[in-house]
Amino acid sequence: MLLEQNGVRIAAVSYDAQEILAAFAQRHAIGFPLLSDRGSEIIRRFGIFNFNMAPDLRAYGVPHPVEYLVARDGAVVNKYFVPNYQHRVTGSAVALRQFATVDREGPAVTLERGALAVRIGFPSAKAFAGQEVAFFANFSLQPGWHIYGAPLPEGYTTTSIAFDGPNVGSQRLELPAAKLLNFPILRETLPVYTGSFRWLGTLLLKHPSPDGRLVLPGHLGFQMCSDTVCEPPQVLPFELALTLDPFLISDRDRRLQGGTTGAPEAGAPHR
Amino acid sequence: MPDKVPHDRAKKAAAMREFGRLRAAGLPVPADVRARHVWATNDGYATGPDPGQRIPDFALPDQSGAIRTLDDLAGPNGLLLVFHRSADW
Repeated sequence: MLLEQNGVRIAAVSYDAQEILAAFAQRHAIGFPLLSDRGSEIIRRFGIFNFNMAPDLRAYGVPHPVEYLVARDGAVVNKYFVPNYQHRVTGSAVALRQFATVDREGPAVTLERGALAVRIGFPSAKAFAGQEVAFFANFSLQPGWHIYGAPLPEGYTTTSIAFDGPNVGSQRLELPAAKLLNFPILRETLPVYTGSFRWLGTLLLKHPSPDGRLVLPGHLGFQMCSDTVCEPPQVLPFELALTLDPFLISDRDRRLQGGTTGAPEAGAPHR
Repeated sequence: MPDKVPHDRAKKAAAMREFGRLRAAGLPVPADVRARHVWATNDGYATGPDPGQRIPDFALPDQSGAIRTLDDLAGPNGLLLVFHRSADW
C-alpha cells in the first residue's frame, strides 16, 4: 500500500472494546493495529472529544474524526479532517500529498493540445463514498509557451481543473506558485506556469453515492500563449472512473440482522 | 479535563434522535433533518494538535491486547494515526 511504500505505518484509534476490535479486524482481514481507547482518555487528551454527544447516546465518547501524520519523534507533520463525520480522507490522498506517490493501477488520462500535455489522474482506483480523494495533474509545456495562473486582469483565462456531476462535493486545488512574467510590450506582469509542474487537488465523493463504477466527468480550462502568439481560451473535457466499494455492514447491524431483536438505539448516528 | 458540555446539547440530542429514528425505520430523511443532524454532530469540530506540535503520549491495547505506543507503531517515516468513531456501528 502506498503509505507503507513510503515508510509510514498506520494505526486507528476508537473507543471500542478490544474484543470488538478483534472481531472487526478478523472479519475484514485488517492488518494494522486497531487501538482501544476505552473511556476515551486519549481522545480527550488529544482535544478531539466530541462534546455534542449526550451521555445516553452510544456515540458518547467518540472523537471528532482526525487523521494525523506523526513523525517518529511525535511531532505532527500534517493532519487531515473533513468537517463532516461521514467523510474521510483516503490513505492514497495522504501518500500523494506527502510523498507524491501514485499507484500504477490508478486511473489517469492524458490531454494534449499543441504545446501542452496534461496527465490527470487519481492515485488509486478504489474509493468509498464519503472519502476525500486526491487527484494530480502533471503539466508539460514546450519551451517558449506558458499558461496562466491567478489573479489575472480581464481578458485572460486562468488555468483550471474541475470535476462535475452529482457525486462530486467540494473540491479544491493546491497549486505551486505561478511565476510572475513581465511582458514589456503589454506593460503587464502576469502570473504564468511554464515547463513541467504538478498540481494536486482533492475532491469529496458525496455520501451516499451508488456502489460500483463511478464515472467522473471533468474539464481542463486554459489559455496557452507564447512570446509571440496567444491561442484562444480552450476547454478540454475528460472522464475518469473510480470504483466505489460498498460500505461494510457494521458488526452491530450484522448482529441485528442475525435475529437479535431490538431497534437501533435512539439517536444513533449512522455511517 | 472538565467536560466542555455545549449549552445546546439537549437540542443536538433531539436532532440526532430524529435522524436516527427515520434511519432505523428505513424512512427517507428530509434534507433539513439531515442538515440538523450533521450540525449537531459536527458543531465545534476540534482537530487537536497542529503540524509542528507534539501529540500526547499514549499507550493503548491493540486488537490482540498488546500495549502499543508511538515508538513501536511508527515506521521509518512515522505513523498515520486515524481517529474514528467506532468499529461496531
